[in-house]
Amino acid sequence: MLSKRVLIIDDEETIQTVVQFGIKLAAGWEVLTASSGLKGIETAQAEQPDVILLDVMMPDMDGIATFKELQAHPEVQKIPVILLTAKAQTAERRQFNDLGVSGVITKPFNSLDLPEQISRILHW
Amino acid sequence: MKILLVEDDESLIALLTRSLVAQRYVVDAVKDGEMGWSYGSTFEYDLILMDLMLPKLDGISLCQRFRAEGYTTPIMLLTAQDNSTAKVQGLDAGADDYVVKPFDQAELIARIRALLRRGSTQPFPLLTCGDLLLDPSTCEVSYDGQPLILTTKEYELLELLLRDSQHVLSTDEILDRLWSSEKFPSEATVRSHIRRLRHKLVAAGAPSDFIATLHGRGYYLKALEPKTEEATMPHLKGDLAGDLAGGLAIASTSSETSPFFPISQPDSQRQYLTFLNETWATTQPKCLAQTEILLQAAAELQGDRLSHPQQVQAQQVAHKLAGTLGVFGLTQAMHLSRQLEHWLGETLHPKQAELMQTLAIALQQEIKNNRTIQAPQIVGRVPLLLVVSTDAKFNQSLMPVAIDRGIHIRIAPEIAPEIASLEPAEEQSPDVILFRFPDGSPKDPDRCSTIDDLWKTLQTWVHRHPALPILVVGDRSELSDRLKIVRSGGKLFLEPSAVPDQVISAAVRLLRGSDSPARVMIVDDDQNWLRMLPTLLKPWGFKVTTLADPQQFLTVLQSVMPDLLVLDVNMPQVNGFELCQILRSDPDWQRLPVLFLSVLTDAASQNQAFTVGADDYLCKPIMGVELANRILRRLQRVRAWAG
Repeated sequence: MLSKRVLIIDDEETIQTVVQFGIKLAAGWEVLTASSGLKGIETAQAEQPDVILLDVMMPDMDGIATFKELQAHPEVQKIPVILLTAKAQTAERRQFNDLGVSGVITKPFNSLDLPEQISRILHW
Repeated sequence: MKILLVEDDESLIALLTRSLVAQRYVVDAVKDGEMGWSYGSTFEYDLILMDLMLPKLDGISLCQRFRAEGYTTPIMLLTAQDNSTAKVQGLDAGADDYVVKPFDQAELIARIRALLRRGSTQPFPLLTCGDLLLDPSTCEVSYDGQPLILTTKEYELLELLLRDSQHVLSTDEILDRLWSSEKFPSEATVRSHIRRLRHKLVAAGAPSDFIATLHGRGYYLKALEPKTEEATMPHLKGDLAGDLAGGLAIASTSSETSPFFPISQPDSQRQYLTFLNETWATTQPKCLAQTEILLQAAAELQGDRLSHPQQVQAQQVAHKLAGTLGVFGLTQAMHLSRQLEHWLGETLHPKQAELMQTLAIALQQEIKNNRTIQAPQIVGRVPLLLVVSTDAKFNQSLMPVAIDRGIHIRIAPEIAPEIASLEPAEEQSPDVILFRFPDGSPKDPDRCSTIDDLWKTLQTWVHRHPALPILVVGDRSELSDRLKIVRSGGKLFLEPSAVPDQVISAAVRLLRGSDSPARVMIVDDDQNWLRMLPTLLKPWGFKVTTLADPQQFLTVLQSVMPDLLVLDVNMPQVNGFELCQILRSDPDWQRLPVLFLSVLTDAASQNQAFTVGADDYLCKPIMGVELANRILRRLQRVRAWAG
C-alpha cells in the first residue's frame, strides 16, 4: 500500500491531534490538519491530499458548506471527501449521499481503525 | 528522509515545511515539547529540528530526554539567542548543531544535509550472534537471512543482549537499561517480552533456547556456529529495506492480512494508549472547565434566565465535548454529552433544570473519574452488533438507537447456517449477536423454515464463537423454545414487543463485561449528602451518579444503566419504597440490586423496604467503607449468580 496524505478538517484540536497520531501509527500516512472550512479549502488547494476527512458540525462554515465550496473549486473537486459525524441517521445519510460525498464515518471512532475504514470506503 | 519539526510558531512551521518538502524531505510538525517527545520517541526520524523555546517542554530538556533515552537521531536547534551560553547549553544537552533565528533558509538546508550525511557515513557496526544479524543504523534484524519483525522494545532487548553477549543479564539489569526511570514495569514485563522475542526467533528458525535462561541469574544469547555473512546480507537488504524505509521501526510483515500492520500489534496499541493518556492529561482539565458552562446554563435555566445565545453556546459546548470524549473512547461521558446537546437544542423549561444539572454533574464526574484512558476503552473498535433477522422494519428501527449508543450494526444479508455468508473475511467480527425469531402462526411453513434456518445459524455461531453474547428476541411463552435457546448459549431473551431502545440497551448490557467499573446510582433528596457520596465511594472505583429529584428517576436510570441502586426512603412527591416498587414491576429492572440508605432505624421501615423488593437496608450515618463494602458484596453476589 502506498503512503497516502489525509487532510482532516475539524474545529476540535484534540480530535485533529489524536487522529493524526492514530493514522500515522496505524498506516504511516501523512495527516494534514485544518481547524476551519476556509483553512481546509486553502490547505486542500495547496497540498492536494488523497482524501479529506470533514467534520459536519463546525462553527461559521459547517461541513456541508465546506464540501459545496470544495466542489466549486476545480483543482480540489476530485479529491474524495469523507464526512465525520456523530449523527448519521438514515435520512441524513441519504442527504450526505445525495451531496456526492464519498462516505461517512460516524463518531466516535478509534483512530487506529481509520486507515482501514477510509481504504474500504475509497476502494484503495 | 524524515524530519521531525518541533516549533510553536505556526508561520515558521509553514515556511520551514514548505522549503523542506521542496527538498523532498518528509516533515512532521508538532507544536510543543511534549508532542515532540511523543512523536520523536514513537516514529523513526532521520533528523529532529527543534526550537529552543517551546511550550510544555523546552528544547534543551527535550534534547536531554532524547539523549538520555538513547535516541541518537541528529538534533538541530533553532534559537533566537545568539550568545555562546545558549549554544553551549544546547550542544551540551546533546544537540548536534544549531541555527540562530532569523536564519538563511539555504544555509539551514545545507546544514541539515551535512548533519544527515554525517550520520550515514558513520554507521554503527553490525551486531551478530550466530545466524542473528542486527543493523543498528537501519534497525533491521534478521535470522538466517529471514527478516524479523520486532516491536521497539523487543528490538532494544535483542540489541542489549547482542551488545552484552558476553554477560548474563538479570531482569533487574534489563529493566534498568531499557525502561526510563519514571516508568515502573514489573519483572513480568521483561519475561513477556523475552517470551515474544523467543517466539519470533523460533519462527525464523532459531533454536528455542537461542535466548537462554540461566535460572536465578538472567538471560544470555546462546549462538550456534554462524553461517557466512555473505549468504545472509543480501537477503536482509533486499527484503527489509523497502518495508522499513517508510518510517516505523516496528515494521510490517507480508503475512499480515491487513495492510495496516500495527493495529494488530499490541505495541502499537500501547503506544497509541500512551499518546491518548498524554493528550488526555491536558484535555481533561479543559473538558472539566467546559462542564462548568453546562452547569452554569442549568443554573440560569432554573432561575428562568437562560438566554438564547447562552443556550446555543451550551449546546455547542456539549457537542464539542461529545466529539472530544468520543475520541478518547469515553463512551459513557460522550453519551451524557450527547443527551445534553440534544436537550439544549430544544425549547427548555425551568423544571428541566434539575435533570440537566444531574446530567451535567454525572458528566463532570465521568470526566473526573477517567483519570487515565484504559486499554479496553480504545483497543476495542466500536462494538459491532450483528443482527440476524428477516424483519426489515425491525432491523431499520434499531439503526438510529444503535448509532446514538455508539454501536455499529451489521444486518446479516441472509439467514443461512453457512458461516461464510455472515462473516465476510474483511469485516470486523461481531461483539454481540441478535437473533430475531419471526412472529406468526406455528403452522406457517415459511415461518417454520425460517425458524429452522435460524436455529442452525445460531448453533453454528455458538460453535464458532462460544463466548459471543447472544440476544434473542422472540415469543417467550414456549418453554421448549426458551430451553433450546438457553442450551444453545442464549444470554438474554426479549419479547417481540421490545422497543429498539430496550433491544439496544440489552445489547449494551451484554457487551459490558464484569471488568468495567460498577455503576452505582444514588437517589437522595439531601444535596449535601449527594455531594459527599462520590468522594466517599471514589476509592473503590465505582462510577457514581447522583440524583436529587425522584421525578427524573426513570430517565436517569435508562441513561446511566446502573449495576446497583441506592435509595433514600423519605423524599418529596415519590418516596424510595415507591421507586423500588416501580423497579420491581419492570422486567428490565427486576434484578437490579437495591440498597436502602435512610435515617429511619425502626423495624417497620426496614420490613417495608424488604417487602417492596430491597436487597439490603442501611442506616445513616454511615461510613464510606461500610457502604462500599455492602455495595461490593452485593455486586459480587449478583455477578457470581450471573456467571
